Amino acid sequence: MAEQRAVLVGARVASGAALQEAPSPLVALIGPPNSGKTTLFNQLTGLRQKVANYPGVTVEKKVGTVALPDGGELDLVDLPGVHGFSARTLDERVTRDVLEGRVEGIRAPDALVLIVDSTRLESQLMLVEPVLELDLPTLLVLNMCDELEQRGGRVDDSHLAERLGVKVARTSARSGAGVDLVREFLATEVAVAEPPGPVQPRTLSNIPRGVALPMVDAFKQRRARVSEVVAGAGFRSPDPSGFSERLDHVFLHRIWGPLVFLAVVVLVFESIFTWAVPIMDGVELVVGASGNWLTATLPDTWFRSLLVDGVWAGVGSVVIFLPQILVLFLFLGVLEDSGYMARAAVIADRMMYRVGLQGRAFLPLLSGYACAVPAILAARTVEDERDRLATIFVTPFMTCSARLPVYALLIAAFIPDEPLLGPILGKRAAMLLGLYGLGIVAAIGTAFLLKRTLLKAEPTAFLMELPPYRVPTLRSLGLRLVDRSGVFLKRVGKVIFTVSIVLWTLTQFPRTELGPPPIDDSALASIGHLIEPVIAPLGFDWKIGVGLVTSLAAREVIVGTLGTIYGVEAAGDESFELQDALTDALTPASAIGLLIFFAFALQCMSTVAVMRRETAGWKWPALQFMYMLLLAYAGAFIAVRVF
Amino acid sequence: MQLPTASTNASEQEFVELRLAQVPLRQTVELVRIDLPPEQAEPLLERGVLPGCRICPVRSSPSGDPIISIDGSLLAFRKETAACLCVRLITQFRDAG
Ligand SMILES: Nc1nc2c(ncn2[C@@H]2O[C@H](COP(=O)(O)OP(=O)(O)O)[C@@H](O)[C@H]2O)c(=O)[nH]1
Repeated sequence: MAEQRAVLVGARVASGAALQEAPSPLVALIGPPNSGKTTLFNQLTGLRQKVANYPGVTVEKKVGTVALPDGGELDLVDLPGVHGFSARTLDERVTRDVLEGRVEGIRAPDALVLIVDSTRLESQLMLVEPVLELDLPTLLVLNMCDELEQRGGRVDDSHLAERLGVKVARTSARSGAGVDLVREFLATEVAVAEPPGPVQPRTLSNIPRGVALPMVDAFKQRRARVSEVVAGAGFRSPDPSGFSERLDHVFLHRIWGPLVFLAVVVLVFESIFTWAVPIMDGVELVVGASGNWLTATLPDTWFRSLLVDGVWAGVGSVVIFLPQILVLFLFLGVLEDSGYMARAAVIADRMMYRVGLQGRAFLPLLSGYACAVPAILAARTVEDERDRLATIFVTPFMTCSARLPVYALLIAAFIPDEPLLGPILGKRAAMLLGLYGLGIVAAIGTAFLLKRTLLKAEPTAFLMELPPYRVPTLRSLGLRLVDRSGVFLKRVGKVIFTVSIVLWTLTQFPRTELGPPPIDDSALASIGHLIEPVIAPLGFDWKIGVGLVTSLAAREVIVGTLGTIYGVEAAGDESFELQDALTDALTPASAIGLLIFFAFALQCMSTVAVMRRETAGWKWPALQFMYMLLLAYAGAFIAVRVF
Repeated sequence: MQLPTASTNASEQEFVELRLAQVPLRQTVELVRIDLPPEQAEPLLERGVLPGCRICPVRSSPSGDPIISIDGSLLAFRKETAACLCVRLITQFRDAG
C-alpha cells in the first residue's frame, strides 16, 4: 500500500503544471456515526465552516477551512457518517459519490482523514480496507483515546500504522488533544503535495475490488484480517462504561423508560411554548421599537412605507420565531449529544412501527415541531428508503413553529379566553392542543395509508447503536445553534424579504392622484378576486385569499400579509388592531376552517424545495402538495358547515 | 438467504442451535447464521454482526426488544430480527476448533 502511494505521488509531481492557480487541496473527513467526526471537524475548522448544497443533487455539504501550522490553508469536507459503502442509504450514497469524485460541484478529494472510535476499534476498522483502496494519502484518526485509556483499554498506534501502511494519530477530539497531529499531517502530507493530475477512476464498495464472493464471506474475510491487525497492535477492549449501564438501567427500564421518554417530550414542548416566549417577546419589542424609530426618523416617502410597512413588518414577524427555533434545537442538540436520542428512538420504535414508521423517524418528527426543513434532512438517518420516504411525507403534518403565529392570531381573535375544564385548561389552550392533535392524527393516518399503498413493503429491520452517555460540550451546542440560525435567517432573508416587497408594491398600484389606491382597487385586490370563487365556499374573502397565496411561500407570511393589507386599508387609524379587523372579516366557523386549512396544507416553499432534493424529483413533493391541499380544503369545507 | 458458517467441523455440529430471541440475558453466544435476505443482513454485517462473532444480550427495551453488546458497542434491534439470528452457546471446547 505504502509503495503504491509513493508511485502515485510521484506521478502527481510529474503532471503538476499549473501550480499557481491551484485551488487549496480538498480533504474529506469520513468515519462511522458517533465516532466524533463532527467534533473533530469543528475543532479543525472552528467557525470557518459553511453548509451549502451541491447543485441539483440531494446533498447538503459541510465544508470548512483548516488553518495549518505553517500559515497555509486547506478545505475540509465533512461527509455523512457511514458504516460501510453498500450505498444502501442516502448517506452512504452521498459519501461514496463524493469519494469517487462523481458529485458535480465538488472536486474529488485529494486526501482522506478516516476517524474511528478507538473504544470499539475492531468493528470500526472494517472501513479501513475499502477506504485504502482509494489510494489517497490517508490519516487514520483513533478518536476517544481519553475514554479508551480511562476504561482500561489500550492500542499500539505505531504498529497499526505499520501494518496498514497509513499515518495514525491518537486524538481526543472533545478536549482537543491530538488535533495538532491531524493538522500536522495535513500540512506535511497534503498541503505540500502537487495538485493531482487527471483523477483516476475510483470505486468504493463493501465487496473488495475484483473479488467474486458472497457478501457474508467477503465480510468475514475482511473481519479476519482486521482482527489480526488489531490483535497484533495489542488492542485491549475497554471495560464497559458503568456509568452508561446505570443510566440505561433507568432510561430503558420497563416502567421508568417510557415515563422518562414522556417527560422529555413534555419538556421539549414546555421549552418551546413557555421558556422561549419571554425571549420572543423581547425580540418582538425590539423589532417593533426599531420599526417605530424608522418611521419617526425617515421622511414620509414611498421608501419609508416600503421599508416599514413592507419589509420591516414582513421580516420582523418571522424573526421573532428565531428564539423558539433555537431553544428547540438546543434541546435536540443536548438530547443527541448526550446519547439519549438513540434510547428515545428505541423506545419509540414499537409505537412508530405500528403506524408504519420506525424508531429512527422519532428525531425527524420531533424536529418537525420546529421546522420541517431540517426535519426532512434529519430523516436521512432512517436507513430504509421506504421508511425514509414515509417519514418525509408525514413530517409536514407536525405542527411547525411557522403555524404558531397563524394559530395564535386566529385563536386570539375568535376563541374567547374562557375556562373549559376548570382552571386547568382554557378554551384557547384546548383549541391549540386540538390543532396539534389534528396534525398527529393526520400524520398517523397518512403513514398508515402510505405503507399499505405506495410504500408497501416487507417490514424492515430497525438497527440502532446506543453510544455511551456523554456530557454535551458547550462548543458543540453553540456551533449547532450558529449553524441553525444561519439557515433560518437565510430563509427569512430570501423568501420573506422578497414576498414583503412584492406585496407592498402591489398595494401601491394603480396610482391615483392622491397616491396609492384604496386597497380594494389595488392590483393586489384584482389578483385576489381571481381566486375568490375557489375559496368562497370556505367563507374566505379575497384578502384572506391573498394571504393564502402569499403563505405558499411560508405559512407565517399570511400574518404579515394580512397585517399589510388591513394596515394599508386602515392607514391613519392609530388604534388599528389586526385581530379586530379579522373578527369583522371572518365568521367564527370560517375562522376554524382557516385554522384547519393551516393544520393540513403544505404552504411552505422551503419544504417543497427540500423534499424535491431529498427525493430526487418532483413526484413526491407534487403528490404531497396536492394531498395536503385536498385534506386542507376538505377539512375547512367540513368545518365551516359543522361549526 | 441462508448464510452458512464457514466451518462445518463435525464436532461443532453437536451444539444446539438457538435463536437469539431465546437466549437469556447476559449469556454470551456465537452467531452462526443470519436468516435474512442480503439487503437486510448487510447493515448487520457492516456493524460487525457476522457469523463467528460473539454477542451478548445485555438488556431488553421496554417493549421487549433485545439490546446486545458486540465489540464494545450496544446495538438495539427488534425481536423479529432477533428471531432470524441463529446462534449457539459458547463452551470451553469451542476454542479448540
Ligand atoms: N470522551 C470523548 N468524547 C468525545 C470525543 N470526541 C467526540 N466525543 C463525544 O462523542 C459524541 C459524538 O460526537 P460527534 O462528533 O457528534 O460524532 P459524529 O456522529 O461522529 O459526528 C459527542 O457527545 C462528543 O462530545 C473524544 O475524543 N472523547
